[in-house]
Amino acid sequence: MTRAPVVFVVDDDPSVRSSLKFLLSSVGLQVESFDSADALLQRKPPDAPSCLVLDVRLRGLSGLDFQRELAARNRQMPIIFITGHGDIPMSVRAMKAGAVEFLTKPFRDQDLLDAVRIALERDRCRREEEKEVADLQERFDSLTPREQEVISLAVSGLLNKQIAGQLGTAENTVKVHRSRAMEKMNAQSFADLVRMIEKLKGSAKKAS
Amino acid sequence: MPFLWLLVFTKMNSETHGAGRSTEPVDLRDLIETIPALVLCALADGSAEFANRAWHEYTGCSSPELTGWGWHAAIHPDDLPKLIQEWTVATAAGKPFETEARVRRADGEYQWFAIRKALSVSRDQIGKPSLRTLIACEDIQERKQAEDRLQQSEQRWQTAFENSAIGIIIRDRADRFLAANRAFRTMLRYTELELYQLRSIDVTYEEDRELNLELIRELWEGKRQHFEIEKRYRRKDGTLVWVRNNVALVPGTAGVAPFLFTVVEDITERKKEESEAEELRASLHATQLQLAQVSRLTTMGELTASIAHEVNQPLTAVTNNANACLRLLARRNLDPEVLRRALEEIVADGTRASSVIARIRGFIKKAPAEKSDLDINEVIQEVLALARRELSENRVLLEPQLTEALPPVLADRVQLQQVLLNLIMNGIEAMTALTSRPRLLWVQSRIDESGDVLIAVRDSGPGLGSESDRVFTPFFTTKANGMGMGLPISRSLIEGHGGRLWATPNSPHGAVFSFTLPTAAGSPP
Repeated sequence: MTRAPVVFVVDDDPSVRSSLKFLLSSVGLQVESFDSADALLQRKPPDAPSCLVLDVRLRGLSGLDFQRELAARNRQMPIIFITGHGDIPMSVRAMKAGAVEFLTKPFRDQDLLDAVRIALERDRCRREEEKEVADLQERFDSLTPREQEVISLAVSGLLNKQIAGQLGTAENTVKVHRSRAMEKMNAQSFADLVRMIEKLKGSAKKAS
Repeated sequence: MPFLWLLVFTKMNSETHGAGRSTEPVDLRDLIETIPALVLCALADGSAEFANRAWHEYTGCSSPELTGWGWHAAIHPDDLPKLIQEWTVATAAGKPFETEARVRRADGEYQWFAIRKALSVSRDQIGKPSLRTLIACEDIQERKQAEDRLQQSEQRWQTAFENSAIGIIIRDRADRFLAANRAFRTMLRYTELELYQLRSIDVTYEEDRELNLELIRELWEGKRQHFEIEKRYRRKDGTLVWVRNNVALVPGTAGVAPFLFTVVEDITERKKEESEAEELRASLHATQLQLAQVSRLTTMGELTASIAHEVNQPLTAVTNNANACLRLLARRNLDPEVLRRALEEIVADGTRASSVIARIRGFIKKAPAEKSDLDINEVIQEVLALARRELSENRVLLEPQLTEALPPVLADRVQLQQVLLNLIMNGIEAMTALTSRPRLLWVQSRIDESGDVLIAVRDSGPGLGSESDRVFTPFFTTKANGMGMGLPISRSLIEGHGGRLWATPNSPHGAVFSFTLPTAAGSPP
């Protein structure tokens, strides 16, 4: 069961900050606002989809610097930039670094709300994906080393007989390892297992 | 060339020369008489026994006038003492006699003669042998004149050399001073004697020596006949003087070794002017930068960004709050307390936005006003210098009509430059599309009827037509990328100086922008 999404607002202007909080809460969103990037970094990451509405011009760390800082800390959170004087190069940089939207103040409220919706959806997907990979990893970790070996070879396309030959064991033993692993991995079919392993590999590649 | 032969008869005793030496006594006098040259026969004491015909003819004197000591009267009084002195000394010592003296001609003119003992002859007179000495005299008038001319010329040159306003030096192959005139000595503050102890390179500024020596070497090697160099000398007191030297190698003659002739011009003043001009250019450049900065502010380039940010913050808050209320209202979920708080914030942010605007206006008004007494024509010239490139690039002909000797105005130079530049640039821009008639820009300064200084900038462009009232309205512009702030700001700057700025049509074409400024004497302190 996923918890209610959270929208973080970072703007050093108290009026803007509180008006943003009011606007976002008026459509039922849960909002937390901060006057600086550092203040947000003090907060524990929520166990819920979240996004960040971030002013580009901040005292101390600028919005764009903060975007880099978050990426460096591997705190993935979609960002919607708002600015009082946006220029094109700045917005291009922000979008390239993964921003969801770049809004120039004063913006249409619907534009902001749409951007927030997209951002939360994106974060929800990301979180689900992450959760799935984590589950898979957990299941994969519960396999014995021999079982992991067997399914890795099976997924790479070897027949049981070939696997047995390579591991220096009987074909029947391989069959047993394989079905146990399928069971532990909660795979409905061999194709399902292949997809799971590919996903694990993919996320491992992404992480490295 | 006629010669004067002076024949001197000296009585000698017979023991010295012997009796056997007798010759034809009668013929000698006849012979002397017929010699075309001037001949005088004198006794041992120098008195004349007789003068020959040529003497009489040359001097125009009679025989009695010339005999005895009479002939002395024909010698120039200034030369006579010397002649007598030398005669006496030479006779006493038995040495050859030779002197130069002027002898008066019949017309009263004196001519130079060399008078010398030529030879001695013996003569038998009244049976007694006697010895005569023959002295030769030469007409040297021409040589004497040539010598005089040479001496005068030498003196003239010496005087010219010494008194020349420009420094002149003569150096030998070892770079020693052979001569240095007063101008040069004064320039370097050395005495003549001190200079003769030095080489030219010794008084040359260290940094300039190498090039100088190289050029001098090329002179002596015949690679060049002369050269010019701008260099510095170090004076005796250590200070530096900038000079331009023109150095020539004068080839040697039989008696004179080759030498370097150098004309030394003190260019310290010119160098100073050059560096001052450089400074002036630099300061003009600085002014230009300053102006560019100011006009950038005027065109609101950077100002707009900061205004936008300052104003957008409260506007964003207002919009957000109002939108949130609308959304809650639509869902019939708007708590009056929430609405009240939102409205309070909206009011606060609205106030804040207007205070930002007020602050910016105050900033523009307060913008650095450093008033001083200014010559308005000078300010106009500065701005025209800045606009010169724009004028020529747009092929606009400038017609300055500046009234001289205007009273000073008490004003901020940068602000005036800004206003003038704005009006001039407007004038230029108004004429860019003009092809049917010349693009003319008049800039006029004068005293107006009320005694204020009036400056008018007129163009031959299309004019303002019906827009003439609106051009001073903020954000009104006819330019594609104009802000419409130049004229309103210019007007407020001029009003800040107690003056007025207005526009009128120019006749037959174009527009006139005029502004007045009270004179420094008439404006409040």
